[in-house]
Amino acid sequence: MLTGVSEAVYYILAAIIIGSGVMVVSMKNIFHSALFLVLCFFGVAGIYILLSAEFIAAVQVLIYVGAITILMIFAIMLTARLYSAQIKQSNEQVVPGLIIVSALLVITIFALSKTTWKLSSQAPETQTVAEIGKLLMTTYVLPFEIVSVVLLSALIGAIVIARRD
Amino acid sequence: MNYQLLLPETFLFLWAILIFVVDFFRKEKKYNLAYLALLGLIITIILVVISQKGDLFGGMFHGDSFATFFNLIFLITGFLTILSSVEYTKKLSSYPGEYFGLILLSMVGMMFLASAGELLTLYVSLELTTIPLFVLAAYRKDDFKSSEAGLKYLILGGMSSALLLFGISLIFGLTGTTFLKEIKTVLIVKYLATGEIGPALILSFIFMIAGLGFKLALVPFHMWVPDVYEGAPTPITAFLSVASKAAGIAAFLRIFFRAFLIFQVDWVLLIAVLASLAMIIGNIIALLQTNIKRMLAYSSIAQIGYIMIGVVSASATGVSSVAFYTFVYMFANMGAFITAITFSNSTGSDEIKDYAGLSRRSPALAAMMAVFMLSLVGIPPLAGFMGKYYLFSSAIEQGYIWLVVVAILTSVISLYYYLGVVRQMYFQNSIDENPQAITVSPALRTALIISVIGVLLFGIFPHIFLNLANQAAMVFLY
Amino acid sequence: MFQDYAYVGFFCLIGVIFVLFVFFLSRLVRPHHPTPDKLESYECGELPVGSAWVQYNVRYYLYALIFVIFDVEIVFLFPWAVVYRSLGFFAFLEMIIFLAILIFGLIYVWKKGALKWV
Repeated sequence: MLTGVSEAVYYILAAIIIGSGVMVVSMKNIFHSALFLVLCFFGVAGIYILLSAEFIAAVQVLIYVGAITILMIFAIMLTARLYSAQIKQSNEQVVPGLIIVSALLVITIFALSKTTWKLSSQAPETQTVAEIGKLLMTTYVLPFEIVSVVLLSALIGAIVIARRD
Repeated sequence: MNYQLLLPETFLFLWAILIFVVDFFRKEKKYNLAYLALLGLIITIILVVISQKGDLFGGMFHGDSFATFFNLIFLITGFLTILSSVEYTKKLSSYPGEYFGLILLSMVGMMFLASAGELLTLYVSLELTTIPLFVLAAYRKDDFKSSEAGLKYLILGGMSSALLLFGISLIFGLTGTTFLKEIKTVLIVKYLATGEIGPALILSFIFMIAGLGFKLALVPFHMWVPDVYEGAPTPITAFLSVASKAAGIAAFLRIFFRAFLIFQVDWVLLIAVLASLAMIIGNIIALLQTNIKRMLAYSSIAQIGYIMIGVVSASATGVSSVAFYTFVYMFANMGAFITAITFSNSTGSDEIKDYAGLSRRSPALAAMMAVFMLSLVGIPPLAGFMGKYYLFSSAIEQGYIWLVVVAILTSVISLYYYLGVVRQMYFQNSIDENPQAITVSPALRTALIISVIGVLLFGIFPHIFLNLANQAAMVFLY
Repeated sequence: MFQDYAYVGFFCLIGVIFVLFVFFLSRLVRPHHPTPDKLESYECGELPVGSAWVQYNVRYYLYALIFVIFDVEIVFLFPWAVVYRSLGFFAFLEMIIFLAILIFGLIYVWKKGALKWV
């Protein structure tokens, strides 16, 4: 359960995530958007640590911060007219969009706060990596193997799209 | 554990690898890899037909008659797609070999999807299904519209996956498991204890319906369809409109009929409204189209509305009518697309007005197109009629008269644009003084003949496959 | 466990505050007389050429793409490495299949010449 300090930390992290998320979609320079995305991903990693999911937090930093945003920044820097261009981050649909998103937010908060969630009575796992490894190798072996096929098709697809023959 | 159950999927995957390997060593005429892919598909179809039945990994993978039925739909669609791609890949300047390999990889994902009994497997298989399709939609790098199609499909596909995942995470939070069977048990126990199902479950239904709705192109999640269908290579459009939808339907039935059937009052009405919206909007906008690919795109939106009628019935007859209609829709829709491919290979045009006088240029092609169009409307004795008949009667059984009325009225509207194509072909004169006959390559001819046989055979003798469809539906009865 | 991360969080906080503080301090003590020459980017004493935003070579992108895929693969190796001793041969076989599929990806990339710097 979240108490005292961890609650405070949670709200700080949430503020960082939401604040940087808003910056991502409102910055005029797309390069700055990408940098704020890094901050956003760090915040999410912090939430994972707060939930005792250390391995997932490490993966978050390794994959999202370390690889995916770097890929995005590469893509921005490779594109001649993109990195210094002033982009428009909104269009005429911003008002209906806002209305729908706020309605969805209200409904979601209402639904989630009215629900009794299934809570595990066990203490949080301390050896998360080992536990994840065991589950991946036993119960979830099928999705684990399919993931490698997904990665393979993504790799081949990326080469097909990004490279001239 | 009986790992032989995974044989068809494993075989198809290894065959895809084989295609990539052969592609390394072939320097020219790579489009001939199509025939290698076709051989692999025929063997996989045989493996699926003779495959054993049973569960693997504690209900994570179901090798049951439902999976077999949908696997056949995917494999036959893939077969027709690859047959109709031979001409197309001859013109491709880059990566013609990977084209076939990626189609096979996508089909491996679909086959796992139809067998999934667990949400994580289902999600990963869905990704395996769609990732190659993003690439295939953008395959023509020289064509601006193809790139646009790939990009739009990627962004909206990614968003719909996010919605689906959010729904799945809510389910996991409520039940503590991702196995559909256990989700059902936990929810029933909870319902009996508290007497209510809670707003979060309904929220997760909505997110999952929205997520899968994008894949199915249900209204209002259909806005990507026309642009993607128009821009993607036409064989891929055909594949998207049949196999990808069938995969979405299989996933939908697996999730909602296996885990949430007892809570049907909470989601069936939503599906009924979405289905009628799809029928109305799809058919009305299809009236205005002048491009055959866009017309077929909107018509496929309407068709998914008809298919969802069987889902609304939430009964065994409903599921069997969905399976049967998907099967016959496959032949008619693939046939229509293959005719469009044949026509555009020869004339370079996708405009309906250019079909004028086709009955004199190529009587056989025009006659086949007419059969496909009439089957899509649902005129007896073609297969589309039997399909719609079973769908409507399953809905009437459950008392959804209003839905059937909407379906029949919109079918009448659809008559106008489907017959519009027939009218162009038979009663309008070609602009050309001396029109050439359309050349039909042997591969395309084979694909057309298979489609026509399917439409006629299952219209006149529906019982052959209706029995299989009934067996498939029995999976959900326990 | 949280205590360890509290140190990390504290360290991050100190880091941010330190940077802000130093900037603030330098603003307080430095003279402020900008001239056009002073505002130019510093390029080892030479006159600056072009913008500081250089366009990178497209080839980097392909490497970055391939890197992401294999990065994800490596992530799956960690939990496996922790437990494979206790799970025995079956887990070993599973990882071999997983790796074989991705090594085929590597062979593919290699064969297609995507690793060549031309």
